[in-house]
Amino acid sequence: MAEFLSQYSIQRWLEACPQGYLEDTVYGHEAGESEPETVMMDEAQREAAIRTTTQLVVGERAALAASSGLVNAAPDYASKQFLATQTLDEARHVEIFTQRMYDLGVKKDDLESTLSQFANPNLIKFAEVLLEKVEAKDFIAGVVGQNIVLEGMAFTVFEMMEAGARDYNPKFAHTLQGTIADERRHVGFGENRIGSLIKENPEKRPEIEKMQRDMTYFMLATFADSFSGNPDPIDAPAEAEGASVEWQGVNLATATPEEMEALLAGTVLGEFKTRLARIGLEYQSPSMG
Amino acid sequence: MTQDPGADSAGASGSSDGRRRYELEDVGFREVPKRWRKFYRHWGGPTDELAPNEMLCPVCKVIVRSVREFREGDRLYCMPCMTRMVVVSDGNGGLIAQVVF
Repeated sequence: MAEFLSQYSIQRWLEACPQGYLEDTVYGHEAGESEPETVMMDEAQREAAIRTTTQLVVGERAALAASSGLVNAAPDYASKQFLATQTLDEARHVEIFTQRMYDLGVKKDDLESTLSQFANPNLIKFAEVLLEKVEAKDFIAGVVGQNIVLEGMAFTVFEMMEAGARDYNPKFAHTLQGTIADERRHVGFGENRIGSLIKENPEKRPEIEKMQRDMTYFMLATFADSFSGNPDPIDAPAEAEGASVEWQGVNLATATPEEMEALLAGTVLGEFKTRLARIGLEYQSPSMG
Repeated sequence: MTQDPGADSAGASGSSDGRRRYELEDVGFREVPKRWRKFYRHWGGPTDELAPNEMLCPVCKVIVRSVREFREGDRLYCMPCMTRMVVVSDGNGGLIAQVVF
């Protein structure tokens, strides 16, 4: 365990991120890149992009609140150090997705009202379940909720969005690529750090599994809201059709919103089950009645 | 730390173990410092066929590459998510990486 925790140094984070894959980026993408004209000139597409980006800002604000709150709940300094780097990662994500809101034409004075207008209520409830554990300084539940459930969801959602944006919107795809790289570390910490703690605290399992079930319920409701009747749910407009937008063996350009929702939910839930089993928890299916 | 994330192989000693060896090149994986980039590549999804010297990290879905083919019992390390793994049989004649906590 001590050897494992020694990996979480600020020095390694500096070499991998600011001096590594983020070097020379501007708000997460290459200098000079901009949103495609097809998005900026079409009001429906621009609003769809703003709506999607709103969910990213809301989700990352929750991740920032959770990771910073968990610093003081962590039982050892290596975990505190890692969570300090994760806090900066999440703050960066909030900043780059907020910058995308501005790039899409949202005025700075209108940011909060735009977020309130478009934020999915189920995503807010998803975050509230997690932040309740963080506020109670429950480190084990907080890390499972943040680094396994929230980050596991974000990891898959970002990969799907990156695949959809890769050809038609390199700026957004590059922004997502750096974020995905960050998420790899976060899910790695979640699994590696929590596996042993669950074994040492088996009495925590029912409470954590209930939290996972509640978060999963609101996550699936968010997906259903996002895809239902939305012709552009992953911010990859029709112009991307014909391009290479394959993800998990499915062509996103030709898939219906219902097919995309089923693909995303199926992939995320499959990952949840596997990740939770590895750390000694049993996936709890939410009642969607 | 060993430079090859898959070099910490049980029973392996240079090329005298009969394993096929590979020349690795940087294939554009920028998420680790430069000197380690050739040991990783992005996963292309379920249709991505892995070479005998490649293992999929089950935690972060990055492919870890070694200079020699993997065998059961080999230990490997995924730098992007900082996870240690061991190579095990998948029960169908293949090999997979299993996380070691």
